[in-house]
Amino acid sequence: MIGLAFLLAILGQTGLLNPFQGLFLRATSPVEHVLTAVFRPVASLLSDFDELGTLQDENNRLRLENEDLRNQIAGLQQDAQRVKELESLLQITEGGADETRVVANIVHRASTPFQQEVSIDRGSSAGIHVGMVVLSSQGSLMGTVTKVTSETSFVRLITDTRSKVRAEVAGTAADGIVRGTPDRGLVLELAQGDIKVGDAVVTAGLGGNYPKGIPIGLVSEVSGTSQDLYKKVTIQPLVRLGTATTVLVNISFIPERLILED
Amino acid sequence: MKGTVIGAAMLLAAIAQVTVAPLFPVAGSVPEFVLLGLVLLAAFSSPSPVMVVTPLVAVALAFLSDRSPGLLLLAYLPLLPLGFALEESTVPLNHYVRTLAMMVVTGVWLRTLLALGAMANGATPAFSLLVSDVLVPGLLLDAALLTVVYIPMRLAGWSGRGMTLQRSRYY
Repeated sequence: MIGLAFLLAILGQTGLLNPFQGLFLRATSPVEHVLTAVFRPVASLLSDFDELGTLQDENNRLRLENEDLRNQIAGLQQDAQRVKELESLLQITEGGADETRVVANIVHRASTPFQQEVSIDRGSSAGIHVGMVVLSSQGSLMGTVTKVTSETSFVRLITDTRSKVRAEVAGTAADGIVRGTPDRGLVLELAQGDIKVGDAVVTAGLGGNYPKGIPIGLVSEVSGTSQDLYKKVTIQPLVRLGTATTVLVNISFIPERLILED
Repeated sequence: MKGTVIGAAMLLAAIAQVTVAPLFPVAGSVPEFVLLGLVLLAAFSSPSPVMVVTPLVAVALAFLSDRSPGLLLLAYLPLLPLGFALEESTVPLNHYVRTLAMMVVTGVWLRTLLALGAMANGATPAFSLLVSDVLVPGLLLDAALLTVVYIPMRLAGWSGRGMTLQRSRYY
């Protein structure tokens, strides 16, 4: 039996089992969908009941935040109009920002301090390849595709301790590397510059693995003294990674490490 | 017919492991439906179907969760030897306690091995979190889950079986 285990480990490592995995996932996906559809509302109900107090506080906070954001939108709309007028005066044309995104449902998730992964119900038949960037339905960064079969893809979330994303603090020169922590949070490592609580952290676009400017989260804590070379920066992800059910896969951005599979 | 039912039930347990179990986490641990299925199979049937089903369900679960099939098979392996050892033990243990011990000890081994596998693949080593967030809640979860299923099965008239293999069946 131990010998069989080692044989299976070798077969799995060499990828010889991948075609069988694709077939198996295709065959079992209807059952997966039924089980998810039946049990997700139950889990959601239990979770909501458990978090009732927290949700009420969060609701009040979000109401205030919503009002503030509406005011900001009004200001930004005025600014955008002004930018358009100036661009037309200077005859500047903006390059096309066409992005093709594939909508997918999360089928299952693995959530432990050592593994933060989900699988989604779209695969290579939908144009998804290993390395592609996965976003939440609101457009913030969720993770990257690590494995693809014809109908299923596996996604490593940014909160996984193996994930690393070059990031910068929007509107400042501060940058660093966003990394997942075992407690399912995010930290900005090697962070230099003037970083304050509430600052927005976005992808830096360096390294070619992620497009520039994808929102990741907000700075929730900055610790360290002025003597420290790097401050310890904790980030609150914008998306609730544990409860998201739908994701978008950006299939128009080709990461540099992209591996095209047959 | 019996084999088909067992196979279908274990396949369903593997699918539930990746779809249903993560919806009901306790700290960093989730219910282990596959382990529960194997333990109940060993406790109420006989060791031989467990020996056949374990590699198959390990491969199925590996396909579903994109983990190493070899690692998963190693994770479920201690189940039967532990059952034999407890049955042969000089300390008198009733069937429930033996089954509970099989579930809990194999659960600890399984979660530890999967965590070590993830660490070997680059996850941050966090042994204190492994104990406090995964092993302890997992141990309690396994004990509760087994008790909730085991007692109604006994009340329904299922009788516990031994772990000893009958040589005549194999020679």
